[in-house]
Amino acid sequence: MAHDLGFWTLQALNALQLSMLLFLLSIGLTVIFGLMHFVNLAHGSLYALGAYFAASLAAIGGYWMGFFLAPVAVAGVGILLYSGLIKRMRKSGPMAQVLVTFGLIFALLDLTRIFWGDLALAIEVPALLDGRTAILGIEYPTYRIFIIALGLFIFGALAFVLGRTQIGAMIRAGVDNDAMAACLGINVERLFFIVFCVGCALAGLAGVVAAPLLSVTPDMGLQILIPTLIVIVIGGLGSLKGAVTGSLIYGFVQTFGAVLAPQLASVLIYALLAAVLVIKPVGLFPAKG
Amino acid sequence: MFRHNALRYTVLVLLASGALFQAFTAEYFGLEILTEILILAILVLALDIVAGFGGMVSLCHGALMGVGAYAYALFSTKAGVAPPVAMGGAVAVTGAAAWVIGAIGSRSHGIYFIMATLAFGQMAYSYVFQSPVFGGDDGLGGISRLDLSLVGIDLTDSRSFALFCLAILGAVYGASVLILRSGLGRSLTGVMHNEQRMRALGLTVWRVKADVFGLSGMIAGLAGTLAAQHIMYISPGLLSWTVSGEALVVVILGGLGTLVGPLVGAVAFVVLKHEVSALTSYWHLVVGVILIGVVMSRANGIFGWVESHSGAWIERRLSDATRDPEPEEAVSDA
Amino acid sequence: MKRAILAALGLATSFALPAAAEDIKVGLLLPYSGVYAALGNDIEAGFNLAIEQFGGETEVGFEVLTEDTEVKPPVALGKAKKLILQEKVDVIAGIVSSGVLGAVRDMVHGAGVPLIVANAGNDNATGAACSPFITRMSFSSGQVNRPMGRWLFDQGVKKVFTLAPDYAGGRQMIGGFTETFTAAGGEIVGQEFTPFQKTQDFGPYLAQAKASGADAVYVFYAGGEAISFVKQYDSFGLKGALPLYGSGFLTSPLYVNAEGPAAEGVITALHYVPTIDSEANATFVEAFQELTGRMPSEFAVQGYDAGRALIEATKTGAKDRKSLANALRQVSFDGPRGETSIDPSTNNIVQPIYVYETVAGESGLTQKVLAQLPAEKDPVNGCEMAPVSN
Repeated sequence: MAHDLGFWTLQALNALQLSMLLFLLSIGLTVIFGLMHFVNLAHGSLYALGAYFAASLAAIGGYWMGFFLAPVAVAGVGILLYSGLIKRMRKSGPMAQVLVTFGLIFALLDLTRIFWGDLALAIEVPALLDGRTAILGIEYPTYRIFIIALGLFIFGALAFVLGRTQIGAMIRAGVDNDAMAACLGINVERLFFIVFCVGCALAGLAGVVAAPLLSVTPDMGLQILIPTLIVIVIGGLGSLKGAVTGSLIYGFVQTFGAVLAPQLASVLIYALLAAVLVIKPVGLFPAKG
Repeated sequence: MFRHNALRYTVLVLLASGALFQAFTAEYFGLEILTEILILAILVLALDIVAGFGGMVSLCHGALMGVGAYAYALFSTKAGVAPPVAMGGAVAVTGAAAWVIGAIGSRSHGIYFIMATLAFGQMAYSYVFQSPVFGGDDGLGGISRLDLSLVGIDLTDSRSFALFCLAILGAVYGASVLILRSGLGRSLTGVMHNEQRMRALGLTVWRVKADVFGLSGMIAGLAGTLAAQHIMYISPGLLSWTVSGEALVVVILGGLGTLVGPLVGAVAFVVLKHEVSALTSYWHLVVGVILIGVVMSRANGIFGWVESHSGAWIERRLSDATRDPEPEEAVSDA
Repeated sequence: MKRAILAALGLATSFALPAAAEDIKVGLLLPYSGVYAALGNDIEAGFNLAIEQFGGETEVGFEVLTEDTEVKPPVALGKAKKLILQEKVDVIAGIVSSGVLGAVRDMVHGAGVPLIVANAGNDNATGAACSPFITRMSFSSGQVNRPMGRWLFDQGVKKVFTLAPDYAGGRQMIGGFTETFTAAGGEIVGQEFTPFQKTQDFGPYLAQAKASGADAVYVFYAGGEAISFVKQYDSFGLKGALPLYGSGFLTSPLYVNAEGPAAEGVITALHYVPTIDSEANATFVEAFQELTGRMPSEFAVQGYDAGRALIEATKTGAKDRKSLANALRQVSFDGPRGETSIDPSTNNIVQPIYVYETVAGESGLTQKVLAQLPAEKDPVNGCEMAPVSN
């Protein structure tokens, strides 16, 4: 099948949109890992929670209420998790952390089923972002452009905060060497807390923006977990650059794989992950060399 | 190195007699659960060898078990090979696949190793799911069990099959201990503690890792051939990463790097799941909360907790010769 | 509560007594957790409703046990063995996924326990793998889609692009449609199968459909995938230029409200919609709404008719496994879906297929029936089994 330029532009935008959604999820996870050496497998569940909160809030006050409040609510859940569980788990080693976050996945999965039921929920695209916009010579859904723009905005904001502000410098110091950072008078505990909450809020935000595109189901968190992990491992743990590169690679491989090699679509990304790990065992851009 | 102590022997004897008692007295569904526990136990032994004694935390052992199950099914139903040969072939195929994965992943550590194994497992899963040869989503049926009528055992009977699995589990446990006590096993633990030092000593690190991963894969494949024979039907779900995840949970829940602990974990996990799911369809919630509770108690799993609390007491009474080292911390600096 | 029942059952072992009022023990084998939990609950609600409504017509009583399959074939097989060997049920009903059906097939066939399938649509189950003990009261994948091929061609659609998830069910659904559509003279200009339960963004495939030069798109998706697909199809603005048709699970009442306005104007075919205009359906819809507050889905009616079929079978005097299985193969009644019967040469259901359009109604989306396509028996498809004994 021969395709014109518009077709490839459309696919490139699709790839970019998927990448930005994954970026919102993976940046929180990767910085939490880089800073706290904490593997939060329940990150996907927070994304699902974000979508569910948004669905409930949108039913009361429309999409934008969900958009602004759901990430806050997820950050609230993050605070509970941090003070109840994660703070005490900091020194327990990765095995215990895997187990506890695995337990959290189980528990949160059923809690969403108890509160919201087994039926899929939905959020409508807000009127402002409904319809399509002409861009690069093609018509593209406005809401997807919004996701791309939001992803780029968050990327820019994080790049600024991490690269140009004092708290960013503190976070980078913490990722490099947390003991040394503590010696220099940085309150590392508080830093962890802030980063964890922001990471949770971003996961919630990803859930909110994904909800009108997909359906809100209890297992959506489990479905997104593996792609997110692939992104951060390809990119290398702990770095913004890694998260954004990993997201772009995943988005483009997945989208163009589906078009060019549909038979291999589901195997392709795993093969790529394996290849990256063979060549660079710690991913492309790890925070620590 | 892996050592037995009085407590470990005691628990083994208790587990074995419990399994025997259950095998001879249980009703139909009890035997089903027993067999499920025994097969899971074999799988988690395989996982504990690599994760607990080599720091290679694998998220593809479920897939390896699936490879064993599918290989057995294909050999015995499509290629018409006799079941014992099919079992041997399936174990060999799985071992070879695991060896390759171990070799490729040997340079990765910690979360990267976990993800590399996950990638291979998911590749196998996606491939089996899509391929018509493997029956796709609908799976493969009509798998036969081993024919032991020559020695007067009818494996189609659930009780005999449960006992057969118990015997294999015993053999696998013995083999695991031998592997860990061999030069290879000692090298592996050395690699886990300090890879650089072992390399400096002239050890080919990647070979050690690949060899042990291959052996572990053979055990997982064996568990797969038993799973296929138990259910006499297989589906791609067997290879899904959640199976590997559950196996890992069982190992950690029981006590990583203790061999006995994962056996306890297998019993606890399966019984818990069945008891709770009989009461409520929200069994994930209950199991999840219990997992969190176990971890918050800050022990190395159930068995680790027992060992640290009562180990000293029992040892003082029953034995003074063997002193068990502290439960090893896996991937301590991953 | 279930525990108490189970404990009580441990004592009941004699079943050969000729007592007329002896209860028939039914095992419901359904997913109550996992991705199909909503379907399991709908089927159970429908089944219980049938027992409540029609139970008075038969002399026997029913005792219903439920087991959760978790949509995992090995778990389901274990539960089926438990129901058959330990609980000694007389009949099993349920089964949502075809994988689970494949797993329990040999077990129920070997043990001679009648199984009333209340969803799983694998063509093979009433084809080469058919059994005199397995009766399907739901649908077969081919059956739902085959009539649409001819109908769509008659509407003037000549070139079609198809999409479905990449698993046996998806391929059978699309296969059924393709077969009759091409036989009628239509052309399939493109066909893609998307990774099952792993595809969340259909954008890449939609762009392909758009570029294919088709007159229309024909798809099969269900559950969460259906919701994502319908919404994304609409958001790309394809609905106007490239009408969307499909198998009716795409816009099932169970999740059409989650699809919202995006589903308006989508035309699909299914064996049941809640707006079928008949007395039997009106009674059913009213009772189901009273019970759950929702419109019944095709899954609810499958459970309902499974219960109804069981009652009809017991009315012939059947009460042990063998006679029940035999009676189930001859069941026929006028139900919510219209004239419903079992074809004893495959044990699959024979039922009309409804072409419907999803339209905006007074309270949310509703289904406007465009055509009722006549009931057709499935081809025998390699099914060989003993004829019904009288």
